[in-house]
Amino acid sequence: MTEAFRKTELEAYLDEALPAERMARIEKALRGSPALVERLATIHAERNAGSISLGRLWREHRLSCPTREQWGSFLLGAISAEATRYMTFHVEVVGCRYCQANLADLKNQQTEQPDIASTRRRRYFQTSAGHLRGRSGDP
Amino acid sequence: MLLIRRIREGDAEAWAELIDRFEGRLLAFVQGRTRDRNAAEDVVQETFIGLLTSLPNYDSRRPLESYLFSIAAHKLTDLLRREGRRPTVPLMPPGESTSGWQPQGYQRGPSSLARSAERHHLEDAALVAAMRKQIDHCRRRGQWEKLQCAELLFVRGLSNKETAAVLDLSEQTVANHKYEFLAKLRASVRAGDLPREVFPELYE
Repeated sequence: MTEAFRKTELEAYLDEALPAERMARIEKALRGSPALVERLATIHAERNAGSISLGRLWREHRLSCPTREQWGSFLLGAISAEATRYMTFHVEVVGCRYCQANLADLKNQQTEQPDIASTRRRRYFQTSAGHLRGRSGDP
Repeated sequence: MLLIRRIREGDAEAWAELIDRFEGRLLAFVQGRTRDRNAAEDVVQETFIGLLTSLPNYDSRRPLESYLFSIAAHKLTDLLRREGRRPTVPLMPPGESTSGWQPQGYQRGPSSLARSAERHHLEDAALVAAMRKQIDHCRRRGQWEKLQCAELLFVRGLSNKETAAVLDLSEQTVANHKYEFLAKLRASVRAGDLPREVFPELYE
């Protein structure tokens, strides 16, 4: 039997905005359920026709996302207990992918060797700078 | 936004600064969904190229981080489709044609479908401003329970009963928070002279 997914969840799936585990579950369900594919196609078409939900606006504009600076303070334990509880709820219960990414990055910065990050960044620069206006791609 | 202006002028230092600032969070965003670290780094690389090629169309009123995440999401979706992990979803439900199809569920009415994209943008912006005002109010007053309720109801799409179970509240408390949140949004919609059919979800 196909697992039931909420419309709001399927909207978030289309935007690649659900937690990774939930995304994978929907993908798995889609492979075995033409009815779910059809439902998703309907949601997709509604969006193209101009339909929008409060949830999508909230998510797209990240209305309740703490700032990156606040996540930094969160890691340092420098915010109130109530705000800490809310921020934990936001990443763990709501499952905000963008805040999960910021939090993971900030944690990673504390442990990753600086030369590994700088090598990676240099490669990104070298492979993209050719697209800068008026440049030939030289680093 | 100064950084973007410098990048638009071809400033390589500004471009390197942007990469330094954003690559880590983009990699974390993508990596949760790919099993392969190299593939994740390739997606981030494509994201940066995507930003440069789309810069002429970038509206600098939009937060840069959100714009980068949206490009990364598209590039990631492409990768997952190529790998066969993400099934392709048809643009229209089977058996429907573009000309005969009407959206179901909460939607903008036919009259609003004919409105301009700019009109849609203004309507959305008005509602976003109203929601932001309420959310900021909750934060300032420390009304975390109310904010959590609204987030579960509208962002996760949970029912009152499910929300009550997650937050260990009574269904009546959840219903009260929901009523208050929607009532304030409706008031903002009325004050902004927006037509009721724009967001029928507010009147459910």
